[in-house]
Amino acid sequence: MMRTITICLMLLSVNITAQDLSAKEIIEKADNIMKGVTSTKSEMTITTVRPKWTRTMALKTWSKGTNNTMMLITSPAKEKGSAFLMKGKEVWNWVPSIERTIKLPPSMMMQSWMGTDFTNDDLVQQSSTVKDYTHKVLKDSTIDGRTCYKIELTPKEDAPVVWGKIYSWIDKKEFFQLRVEFYDEDDYLISVMKSSNIKVLGGKKIPTKMEMIPMEKKNQKTVMEYISIEFDIPIEDSFFSLQNMKRLK
Amino acid sequence: MLLKLAWRNIWRNKGRTVITMMAVMIAVVLSILMMSAKEGVYAKMIESMILNMTGHAQIHQVDYVDEQMLDNSLSLSEDLVNDLNESGLIKGWAPRIQTGALVFKDSTSNTISKNAIVMGIDPDKEAEFISLKEHVTVGEFITNEDNQVMLGEGLAERLKVKVGDSIILVSGGYHGSQAYGLYNVKGLVKYGSPELSNGVVFMPIKEAQWMYSLDSMCTNINIILKDESVLEESVSELNNILSGKILVRDWKELNPELINMIETDRVEGYIFMFILYMVITFGLFGTMLMMLSERTREFGVLISIGMKRFKLASVVWMEMIIISILGVLVGIAVAFPICYYFHSNPIQFGDEQAEMMADYGMEAVLQFSIDPSIFLTQAMIIFSISSVLALFPFRKLLKLNPQEAMRV
Repeated sequence: MMRTITICLMLLSVNITAQDLSAKEIIEKADNIMKGVTSTKSEMTITTVRPKWTRTMALKTWSKGTNNTMMLITSPAKEKGSAFLMKGKEVWNWVPSIERTIKLPPSMMMQSWMGTDFTNDDLVQQSSTVKDYTHKVLKDSTIDGRTCYKIELTPKEDAPVVWGKIYSWIDKKEFFQLRVEFYDEDDYLISVMKSSNIKVLGGKKIPTKMEMIPMEKKNQKTVMEYISIEFDIPIEDSFFSLQNMKRLK
Repeated sequence: MLLKLAWRNIWRNKGRTVITMMAVMIAVVLSILMMSAKEGVYAKMIESMILNMTGHAQIHQVDYVDEQMLDNSLSLSEDLVNDLNESGLIKGWAPRIQTGALVFKDSTSNTISKNAIVMGIDPDKEAEFISLKEHVTVGEFITNEDNQVMLGEGLAERLKVKVGDSIILVSGGYHGSQAYGLYNVKGLVKYGSPELSNGVVFMPIKEAQWMYSLDSMCTNINIILKDESVLEESVSELNNILSGKILVRDWKELNPELINMIETDRVEGYIFMFILYMVITFGLFGTMLMMLSERTREFGVLISIGMKRFKLASVVWMEMIIISILGVLVGIAVAFPICYYFHSNPIQFGDEQAEMMADYGMEAVLQFSIDPSIFLTQAMIIFSISSVLALFPFRKLLKLNPQEAMRV
């Protein structure tokens, strides 16, 4: 899921008059945008939608660089105070109800994160859309009234990627990634990620709503919405520690 | 009169009779032993499955059938409880929460973990099922008031956990909630198949309901019937009484893989038996031909002095039947004590074999079955074979030319 957040942040608004960009350049330009941002602090809601129920969680996130992320669940009551620390490829979970910190073992990484359509592994996905894929521009298409590049991303042979292919729709003017389709190795569509609700938040124009829709299951999706976001705020490295996880507010 | 004649005829040539009988006997003993052992294994598997896992029948929420997840749990309403208590068909019932969790040993680093089945049980109500108490090897049995758990021995060993240590359970709960638990280990159980023992956590159902945010729900209700022999009828009647959004299914529906496996294995047994009986058939046929040619002259004489052909043929037919019946009886007489012995003193396998069987999820015990139908089936098969075979001399005698026969 951090990957998703990162992708979203990477594609923050910039005005590049792109005319004849290569596929790699398009992805790269989007990727480069993040280089300016050193840290973020945000509040968001994550809603899990299932045929018979929906459940909304509120959380706060802090990130610094690409290797330090902290998340704190603020509602619902049962999970309030639960915190996640992601450092590199490792995930720790502080559980206030039992007053224990758990490091998620490999066997848990492919399981659902907090009952959503994201896996624990999605929290720490480190593949790079620039380095780990080869890119190809396909025919332009329109999403939500915006003209988009459609780019095909094929993973390189030794890339740490579970997908067989990814299609990405990137807004031609402002480089928002508005739609991503994830295919497995048999060219079977596994999930779709949509971004929408583009507005100014924390001084930047970004898509503030993301939907992750798994294709195998009917009437199921996970929706993330930013409530607020701040960029380039000062955060100490020591903030991202196991001790601090327990003190977060 | 004819029967008496036949009886006497048999013992005129003792050697031949005994050899034929022996052939039949060996076939009967072999197939009985094989079937008895196989049926014994099946019975054990089914019994252990009924007591440990499903009961004679199980109640679910309808959707649980397709998706065995906590979201499809069943509400243990007052009406349902009343219906279950008042039903004359049910001997005992127990609600369970059957799900999974990742189990950690509680230590400073929390690094050892293993996936396990979590069973939320009502210790009082479980009394009708497996006598779990007797399976507690170390420590004590949990009660409804406890907030402690019991672990399978194998699981405790893998987690390096002893009685008195703590474990952490991590899983997903009802409707996307998170399930975390920190519990003291009160006892260890050695339970059912080793596979289960290597990965099972028992906890009081109230704790499980709290941990998985299930309020007063459970995933299934196991039922032990008063009369197992009317399984299907009872289950369909229960379905009528409890109709609505819940479904009662018997253990056969709940375990199609087990039934399939048993059926496949049974067919293998039948094939082996078929081959065995083919050999016996030819043996019997050979003896018969020999008997016919030896006694052609005798038959010729009898017919020429006025013995009715049909009566003579009947005598010979009876001889064959008597020999086979004797063979079957002796066979059963030999096989029964062996089966009975291994029924009351089941074979315990050595460590190596036990481990191998554990891999197949079976208990390392071979208990023979003494189901009467096994013995009856053998008797019926041999009886049919020899009856059909005996038609051959019957036909031959009806056509016998006495003059030619006497000249032999």
